[in-house]
This record gives sequence, structure tokens and C-alpha cells, in this order.
Amino acid sequence: MNDIATPISPASPNIAASTEAPIMTRPTGELVLEARNLDFSYGKTQSLFGVDLPVERNRITALIGPSGCGKSTLLRALNRIYDMYPGQHATGRILLNSEDILSDRGSLARLKARDGDVELNESGLDTSALRARIGMVFQKPTPFPMSIYDNVAFGVRLHQKKSKAEMDVIVERSLKRAALWDEVKDKLSASGLGLSGGQQQRLCVARGIAVEPEVLLLDEPASALDPVSTAKLEATLMELKKDFTIVIVTHNLQQAARISDHTGFMFLGKMIEFRPTAELFERPQSPRTRDYVTGRFG
Amino acid sequence: MSTAAIDTRTEDRPARAQSPLGETIFRTLCFSAATLLMAALAGVVVSLIIGGWPAFQKFGFGFITSTAWNPVTEDYGAAGPIVGTIVTSILALIIALPLALGVSVFLVEFCPKRIARPIAIAVELLAGIPSIVYGMWGLFVLAPWFATHIQLPIMMDFDSHSLIGRIFSGVPNGANIFTASLILAIMILPYMAAVFRELLLTVPSQVREAAYGLGSTAFEVVAKVMLPYVSKGTVGVIMLGLGRALGETMAVTFIIGNSHGFPHSLFDSGSTIASTIANEFAEATSDMHTSALIALGLVLFVLTFAVLAVARALLAGNKN
Ligand SMILES: Nc1ncnc2c1ncn2[C@@H]1O[C@H](COP(=O)(O)OP(=O)(O)O)[C@@H](O)[C@H]1O
Ligand SMILES: [Mg+2]
Repeated sequence: MNDIATPISPASPNIAASTEAPIMTRPTGELVLEARNLDFSYGKTQSLFGVDLPVERNRITALIGPSGCGKSTLLRALNRIYDMYPGQHATGRILLNSEDILSDRGSLARLKARDGDVELNESGLDTSALRARIGMVFQKPTPFPMSIYDNVAFGVRLHQKKSKAEMDVIVERSLKRAALWDEVKDKLSASGLGLSGGQQQRLCVARGIAVEPEVLLLDEPASALDPVSTAKLEATLMELKKDFTIVIVTHNLQQAARISDHTGFMFLGKMIEFRPTAELFERPQSPRTRDYVTGRFG
Repeated sequence: MSTAAIDTRTEDRPARAQSPLGETIFRTLCFSAATLLMAALAGVVVSLIIGGWPAFQKFGFGFITSTAWNPVTEDYGAAGPIVGTIVTSILALIIALPLALGVSVFLVEFCPKRIARPIAIAVELLAGIPSIVYGMWGLFVLAPWFATHIQLPIMMDFDSHSLIGRIFSGVPNGANIFTASLILAIMILPYMAAVFRELLLTVPSQVREAAYGLGSTAFEVVAKVMLPYVSKGTVGVIMLGLGRALGETMAVTFIIGNSHGFPHSLFDSGSTIASTIANEFAEATSDMHTSALIALGLVLFVLTFAVLAVARALLAGNKN
């Protein structure tokens, strides 16, 4: 679990001279999740081209880039949610604790094509269990139409049988970690749909971390929130990184600079530059990155 | 370029403003059309009330509660047709609902994209088949088959005085409350499935993805997230189906057996409001008979209107 058997030496910065090859400074710490040479297509249109993304444990990794560059696509590939849609597929490698989670392709797509009713495939990889290890929070809050309590308990109930008392503990802890507990502790049985946008988003974070995923993926989680809610969410994420590993897509450069440890800049489906956040923002190497972070883009 | 476009538009204005007459005529036409519709509706209601008044006056509340329906003695009580209408409609709903749910969930969640659309279109086409076709099929195919293969065996296997025997007693010709409900179920099934499908498609894909993302199986996503998401609308769909079943005439008239008494068992022949009116209107010679039939029409109108109104309210509630 803790030791990864990656053949690539993680230490030395490996900055390419050419502007076309990605400029990569690999994290020095242990990698939980790693995409290597990842291609992704929506049917015939290819949206990712040989993307590398190392994700260090207990760090926040930010993905930035102009809209349409493939940030959401990369997240969707990482937890294989794209399996739901026949025709979308990824090639390359995605290592979760150095286990290749791409080696089996499209088990759910096959399920949808109705030639098998089990999700457990030949390689023994269970995509639904996999998704529980990689949580996802979307741009728009996605509370389920049920009580706040049930929202948080939802994922846990899917995978484990817990007593009421145990579940109470999990729900309370998750809501506290998501910095929502104080606001909802008196109305746990009220519908999750009745919360404000910012609260709903933190409810989704609580729901995501209740199953103790190893990685939490967030796709522009603050883009629909007001500044106060955004600040709360950011504080929550900084706190969460003690226990979890976070990958966040954001179009807000200040946000990336404030909260992340590593930042990847993507452009037209490629990873252009991936480096420690301070370095990337202060001394961008690629002219494209420089243009983007200084606001001279397009 | 863009300035030019703006200029043209400003130049256009006076030209358009020159024909206020056309505008007025257009408005008046639209307004008249809307008014005409409301007037026609009001006319229907008023004439139903006026036509049915003698019957309501003579029998009072007993018109709804009495089971006597006797054109010879001029004694009219509509409890038989009213109960027949409600029972067949609700039975039809009970049969059709799970099937409609299954069809729509399959189409939205499991069916490969390539064939989902053709099937969805087919379902919608089925909803448009004239009811007399269903009625004929019911009379010539379903009823005889039902009598020989289901009704007779049940009647032979159970003592006619036992509870089950009584529930299933009746003339074994297949024309009864139950087969009428079956036909109704078949008729409202495509309609309900089509509306249900539309409803399920309103669940945001990110909500579905969030549920899958937590590691749910397809069944869990459907049962725990998607159906609760559309629960209010589901009630609306049920009411719409009910509204359809309540007023269905031809198919039911063919197969319900058309007896006026209060139905005593599932396999008893019976009647509905619509089938009674269809059967008797041509032969109604006395004024009281005609009035009783018109009064029946009013009862059906009110029943259907109430159901549809509730359905609308619930469907509107789900959109927020
Ligand atoms: N469902 C889809 N079907 C086809 N193409 C898609 C789909 N979603 C995204 N794309 C394409 O993939 C590319 C990357 O999109 P996306 O990952 O959403 O970008 P970002 O999140 O960085 O704004 C875009 O060119 C977009 O048009
Ligand atoms: Mg995006």
C-alpha cells in the first residue's frame, strides 16, 4: 500500500528543452495515483494526448488551463466514470497504488451492452469498488433527493453493513471534516436539496469522503459559489489534505496558487507543464504557461 | 459590418410600426381563438349540468350511491358504472405501472443507445393506436383465450363458496371487469412508459454520475437516486394514466360485458360510465333516461378533471 514500485526515479527535476515535450518536475513524495501516457477519446474525437499526471499523497494537485483543454476529461478518466458511456475510452496507464486500473477496459460498458451481468471482470478489478476509492465532486452540487444524513451515509451503505451507532459516527465525522457539521447538526433529517449552493457542495464533499477514498477529485467545485462559500470550501480542502489526496480542477488561478502543492497546466489535450505550484506560477518555463498564468492568453 | 446591421434594424422599425392594423387583427384573432376554447368548455359544462339536472333533482345523492339502473321503471342509480369505472382504471394502473417503470428504466439506463431511440419511438406510436383496435383484439382474441385458459380452470379448482371462488366467480365468457382492466392496462402502458422516460431523462447526468462515482451499481442508481429524484413526477404520471383509463370508452365497451349491476367479483361482468353512455344513448327514449346519461357524463367529467388537475400540479412541482 505504502510503497510504490514505480520504475521512474521520482527525484530529479526533468525539464525538457523543447516546448512540445511536457515540462515535468515530478513530486518527490509517494505517488498515490498516476496517469502515464494517457490518451482519451469521445468516440472518434480524441481529447487527451499522452497525458502524464503524477499525484502525490496528502497533497493538493491543481489542474489549470483554458476551457476545453481536457481537464474534466482527465478527471473522468481517473475514476473511470466514462465507462458508463459506450464509445468513450482511454488507453495508456493509470496506476492507483501502482495497480493498473486501466488494464481492463470498459467492464461497465460491456455490462451496458448486456453480455454479462457482473461487474467483476477477468482481471479481478471491480469498477464500482474502484470508484469508491476515488471520489468525485462535480462543478454543480449534486445532492441526492434524500436527507442530509442519508446523503452522507449513501456511499457507506453501498459497501458496508454498519450499525446505526457506527453510521452516526461516520456521518458526524464526515460532516465535521467537510466543515458543514455546525450548520446542519440540528437538521440532519432535512432534505439535502434544501441547503444553499455552498452547503450542498460541502455536503457532496462529505458524501465523497465518508467512504474514505484515497483520492478525491474535484471538478471546478467553487465555480458556482459565492466568495464566502468558496473560502470555506478552500479551508475545508486544506484541512482534508491531512487525510486525503486531492486533485482539483479550477479556472481560478489565485485559487490554484493559494491551495495547491503541485499544478499542471494543460492545453489542447496535452499536459504542457507540471511543477510545484510556486515554481509554476513564479517561473513558468513554457511560453504557453507563461501567457496563461500572466493572463495574456488568447 | 456590425454597425451596418444595427443601422438596418433601426431603419426597419418605422416600416414595421406603419402597420398597427395588422398587429391588432393578429392579436384579436389569437384572443378570439383562446376565448372560443374557454367558451366551448364552459358550454359543455353548462349543458351537462342543465341536461343532467332532472336526474340529479329526482334522485339526489342517491344517483351516485344507488345501484339501481332500470330504464323500464325509470329508476337510475349510477353506483355500478361509477364503481366499474374506478375499479377497472385502478386495476389497469396497478398492472401497467410496474411494466411502464420497467420499460422506461430499461430505455434510459440499460438499453444500448443504438436501439433505445427506435424502441422509444415505437412505444410512442403504440400510444397512438385507436382504442377500437384494442377493443376488437380484446373481444376476439383476449376474452376467449382468457375464458378457456384462466377463468374456467380457476372456477373448476375452487369451490364457488370459498373466498377465492367468490372473488373469481362470473360467467366464463371472458368479458368482465378483469379483462377490461387488462385491455386498459395495455392501452395506457405505452403512454405511461413514454412520459416516464421523459421524466427519467430530466435527472441531471452529473447526479447519475455522482451516484455511480460512489460505487453504486446500476440498480442502486435507479432505485435509490433516480426514482426518488422523479418521485413527485411519478405521481403525476400515475394520475395521467388514470385520467386516460377513466375516460376510455370503445375498448372497454367491447369487453366489459355491459351489465348494470354492481360488480360482485373480479370476473363479474360490469360497466363503466363511458361504456354505459356509449351503449344506451342511441336507445334512450325517455327524457329521464337521457338526463341520467348526461348526469353520468358530468360525473365522469368531474372525476377526470380532478385527476388531471392533481396530475398537472404534481408534475409542475417536480420541475423545481
Ligand atoms: N461528452 C463529450 N463528447 C464529445 N466530446 C467531448 C465531451 N466532453 C468533452 N468533450 C470534448 O473534449 C475536450 C475536452 O473537454 P473538457 O475535458 O470538458 O475540457 P475542460 O474541462 O478542460 O474545459 C473538448 O474539446 C470537448 O469538446
Ligand atoms: Mg470542465
